[in-house]
Amino acid sequence: MNQVGAVGLIAALVFAIYGMVSGAIAGKLRSPRMLKSAQRAVLGFFAMTTLAVVALEYLALTNDFHNSYVASHSSIALPLVYKIPVLWAGQEGSLLFWTWLLSIYVALAVLLNRRKNRQLMPYIIAICMGVGTFFSLLTFWVANPFNQLSLATATGVTPYAPPDGNGMSPSLQYHSMVIHPPMLYLGYVGMAIPFAFAMSALMTRQLGDNWIRVTRRWTMVPWMFLGTGIVLGGQWAYHVLGWGGYWAWDPVENASLLPWLAGTAFLHSVMIQEKRGMLKVWNMVLIILTFFLSVFGTFLTRSGIISSVHAFAKSDIGPWFSVFLAIIAAFSLTVLFLRLDFLKTENKLDSIASRESGFLFNNWILLAAVLAVLWGTIFPVVSKAIQDVTVTVGPPFFNKVMIPIGLLLLFLTGAGPLLAWRKTSFQSIKRNFTFPLIFAAIVGGILFFAGVHRLYTWMSLFLCAFVAASIVAEFFKGARTRMKTSKENFFAALYNLTMRNTRRYGGYIVHFGIVLIFVGFAGQAFRFETQGLMSPGDLLRAKDYLFRCESIDTGQKANYEYETVALSVTKNGHALTVMHPQKRFFLAEQQSLSHVALHSTLAQDLYVVLEGQDQDTGKAIIHVIINPLVQWVWIGGMIVLLGTLLALVPSRIERQMADLHKNKEEVAEAHHVL
Amino acid sequence: MSFSRLVKSLVLVLALVSVAMAAQAPSQIEKDIGDKVYCLCGCVTSLNTCPHPNCEVKDEMLRIIRADLKEGKAEPAILQDLVNKYGEKVLAAPPAHGFNLTAWILPGVGLLIGLFLAIGIVRRWRRPTAQAAAPAGAPPVDENVLSAVEEEMKKYVD
Repeated sequence: MNQVGAVGLIAALVFAIYGMVSGAIAGKLRSPRMLKSAQRAVLGFFAMTTLAVVALEYLALTNDFHNSYVASHSSIALPLVYKIPVLWAGQEGSLLFWTWLLSIYVALAVLLNRRKNRQLMPYIIAICMGVGTFFSLLTFWVANPFNQLSLATATGVTPYAPPDGNGMSPSLQYHSMVIHPPMLYLGYVGMAIPFAFAMSALMTRQLGDNWIRVTRRWTMVPWMFLGTGIVLGGQWAYHVLGWGGYWAWDPVENASLLPWLAGTAFLHSVMIQEKRGMLKVWNMVLIILTFFLSVFGTFLTRSGIISSVHAFAKSDIGPWFSVFLAIIAAFSLTVLFLRLDFLKTENKLDSIASRESGFLFNNWILLAAVLAVLWGTIFPVVSKAIQDVTVTVGPPFFNKVMIPIGLLLLFLTGAGPLLAWRKTSFQSIKRNFTFPLIFAAIVGGILFFAGVHRLYTWMSLFLCAFVAASIVAEFFKGARTRMKTSKENFFAALYNLTMRNTRRYGGYIVHFGIVLIFVGFAGQAFRFETQGLMSPGDLLRAKDYLFRCESIDTGQKANYEYETVALSVTKNGHALTVMHPQKRFFLAEQQSLSHVALHSTLAQDLYVVLEGQDQDTGKAIIHVIINPLVQWVWIGGMIVLLGTLLALVPSRIERQMADLHKNKEEVAEAHHVL
Repeated sequence: MSFSRLVKSLVLVLALVSVAMAAQAPSQIEKDIGDKVYCLCGCVTSLNTCPHPNCEVKDEMLRIIRADLKEGKAEPAILQDLVNKYGEKVLAAPPAHGFNLTAWILPGVGLLIGLFLAIGIVRRWRRPTAQAAAPAGAPPVDENVLSAVEEEMKKYVD
């Protein structure tokens, strides 16, 4: 199977190169036959990378430790459910996984555009296959997951398989790790498609509203995956790392946030181009930046160039990625520069008080956030290069810089949708802002008298109330208008209103999810923690909660030994629950990991960690954290996901517009073929 | 249960609780410092969040902090002691002097440049408003009519 996988890799590389060249020729010569050939190369690329992935999974599932990668990242006792993630547990497998996901995306793009966007497709294939060539080359040449272990003996080199593998990093043996990396990778890789659409539109001078309309959906999908991956990553950190937080501004976390922020800016500013024909160059810059940051994120995650709690491997792929990033920047900016004349703004701004300027300032804040996160992330490398001093840039820096930016963004999330396109009259501003501001002022007042005096926390909750009220008002106003005009009841009006313009109302739901996430963030200000040494019968108080150590037990599972403490919890004298924090020692990996015990409500989480054993007394070290409002971060994440899915559903207006475009395209296609 | 037994039980509970809490709970200043420095064992997290059990580096750093606290040193002096021993990389954020100042300034500068750019773009985009361009004597647009039109546009054009 090892050879099968290796053959798959070589064949994938050949298909990628052929697809890139044939796609470019098809674009240049406008040859339908060459395009067909390039499309087949894409399908071949998909088939061969799939073959390589299946081969590696087979080797992992059958514990074939002749394979160096499997021996390094799996073990016999590793549960079956974690043998599948072996694919992305290390460098080589991750790069193969990246390549495979790209092949899926490109194959889908080809299949969904068999009869559409014929002029754009040749260069889309060429660009995607160019990216595929780079990753195939890397997987084949630099980080091949099909290297075999061998022993040098007197008679020559013989294949070798250790009796057991090294196992998987214990921190990866957690259920959300089965889906968190694929989500992130689907996000990173997927940004190649809108980038390719944009480049192809530039190269073919097809810069009407078609490419932007198609690209929006191709951007939303990876953006959704990236966002979901980020939230799942936060959940993983919260449950596994044992420090009671979900975001530590680690370089690898930042790497995932950067393309998400740039993609968010693009998804907003693209609306100005659709509605008003403005910001055309800017949108190109944003999509280039988003893809660039996606590759940069992969580079940061896999290269180990910056120290990170998530950097699973240090390797020599750095220079390869540097060259590739330089190629992306040089190619895309050159193409953009050559087509600047075709990207003239079609309209002028009627008023500063308009949706257009709202989006512009939203872009300003999002890009400032990108700059701040990027600069903080790479500063240790810059510092080392310039002043030869190693510095650390961690949460104190990012919290200081990013909280004000986040609050500004939150304000614009509420204010932007209250402005009308072109021009908003003073009366309209007054009418639209009155209810949200009054509601926010009431909430702010209550919070102040309830003892919330920290400025940022208070502001965050005040703005959350403002944005939530503005969203509710938008739904309410729309439904009320429909009730009047269509004689529908409130719920039917709400449903029809949403389905008539899924993009707009899906967007509002996404905004509402963001509000809930910010509510969760604000809860961190009220975090409480304590620590104690406990043996059976000991008590530990944390605010209203009293923990009693009932027993300390040890045990063994297939791949780890554990020590667990049973803690009965009472709140104000009433029995609440029994919690079982664990300390696990993974045998193959010779590493230990805390398994957090959680008791979650919407108000707060009781978060209990068994830190270990006190060396002097032999007692268990119990760390208790009371984390208010954390659940709202996860609920908010889910609502963002649901809102995005809703926005992806074609609305009634869009379907009508699509029919119109289809007719136009068929006419254009007929001219093109002739 | 008699009243005296209840009181005795409560006293016992409180004693146990206070013993358990006093044994390990770090002071607030110790926690604050623990957030401002990184554990240098390789975990790449702050001292408070180092996930390694019985981490020697963390224990050594905590010893320094506690000894300094016992001597009555203030937070800046304790942080300086840690920098003297481990170098600047122990700090969770670069100190704001010399080249490190750029780490702090650049995001703000970027924000300002972005703001000026956005304002510049808005100005360039502006064209004379309809009212300014309207011929003299033309009736002014009714604000109520204008806002009603805006609401309609939001419903259908958005």
